[in-house]
Amino acid sequence: MADTLQILKCGVRFDPPALVLNYKDRKTGKLRSRSMPLRNFNKNSGIDRIMQELESNPRHSKFIRLMSPAQLQRLLTIVKDKLNGLSLEASIARNNLMDQINPEENLNKVDPEILQRKKLLMDSSFEKKRIKPGDPQFEYNVEVDFDEVAIETSNWDSDNSEIDF
Amino acid sequence: MSTNSQPDYDKPGDEGEERVKIICLGDSAVGKSKLVERFLMDGYKPQQLSTFALTLFNYKTQIDGKTVSVDFWDTAGQERFNSMHPSYYHQAHACVMVFDCTRKITYKNLPEWLKDLRTYRPEIPCLCAANKIDEDMDTTKKSFAFAKKNNMPFYYVSAANGTNVVRLFKDSIRAALAYKHNSTDFMDEIMKELENFELDPIPSKVKDKEKETEKITQEKS
Ligand SMILES: Nc1nc2c(ncn2[C@@H]2O[C@H](COP(=O)(O)OP(=O)(O)OP(=O)(O)O)[C@@H](O)[C@H]2O)c(=O)[nH]1
Ligand SMILES: [Mg+2]
Repeated sequence: MADTLQILKCGVRFDPPALVLNYKDRKTGKLRSRSMPLRNFNKNSGIDRIMQELESNPRHSKFIRLMSPAQLQRLLTIVKDKLNGLSLEASIARNNLMDQINPEENLNKVDPEILQRKKLLMDSSFEKKRIKPGDPQFEYNVEVDFDEVAIETSNWDSDNSEIDF
Repeated sequence: MSTNSQPDYDKPGDEGEERVKIICLGDSAVGKSKLVERFLMDGYKPQQLSTFALTLFNYKTQIDGKTVSVDFWDTAGQERFNSMHPSYYHQAHACVMVFDCTRKITYKNLPEWLKDLRTYRPEIPCLCAANKIDEDMDTTKKSFAFAKKNNMPFYYVSAANGTNVVRLFKDSIRAALAYKHNSTDFMDEIMKELENFELDPIPSKVKDKEKETEKITQEKS
């Protein structure tokens, strides 16, 4: 049933905190708006838990499912930043940083919420590249020998940050 | 997690089968869990929102006509879980060490993982995998000094499209068994295999692989 709904826009409202979704009902062609209050949300709430609650809420889940998890997490983080006194501009800048994968950033040390956010981003490109059972090209055992002749040394080994292996 | 809650891998299992323990190591988000899941194929689990400290996957297989029970141990790369390390390494027979070929830092951190591993398991065979080659196929034209310097067999893999995943884990099981049966000679053996890898693109050591490899070689030529 959710397939008949098409998401157009999503955003947040701060006072009182709520997620707002504009969508189109393909069956009737009507444009509609849905607002989902974030009732027990405060500056200490775990985003993870709030996401799970929304996803299992019988009234909201079919709308929540229209959003990508990465987007949902971003919006909830913006609301939480606001509750913590951060300006909208500062929060958006911070969130844009979190939505980038920096090849030099050590994810072993970051806050679990940031790690989760990065994994959600990686997940969307993983899903694009994924060949799964049922796909015509799927094979369980894919063995490929890469040409040894064309090989060059990775420049990851030649820069001065090299530690002695 | 306490050490004594682990199975004793030196003893056979309930049906007399041999048991081995293989551990996965590497930075957070390099794809360790996705690789194990791709190998075991017990359905991709829905995305796991929180990273659990430890997941144990059991896998039963036939090697040379004998049943082998393999436990793959998968842990989170995050530092907040590091306190469990001694029991994670306990009795391990082989290690699969993974980095993400799209993120340099994960390669630069490999020496740390290896140092940790060698503190607890100085001898066990360790296989090295560059994951996510689907994101950047140019990676497969590059060699990585870390694996060579430390005598590790090296694999270009992708958990997303499956490239060399089965090969990596099957080889890790063979390495674990070889280590278990004859720990002292093992490094020689793996060195020999490494040389074979380079001289001969068709791995001749595994009979049932030959057909598939031939197919691929024919398609290439
Ligand atoms: N494109 C692509 N993405 C991948 C591949 N393997 C894993 N990923 C993505 O990388 C992210 C991390 O994968 P995980 O398997 O959770 O990584 P991990 O090493 O188990 O991470 P920790 O448990 O935190 O140590 C996920 O979002 C995956 O979608 C791959 O082969 N290709
Ligand atoms: Mg994992």
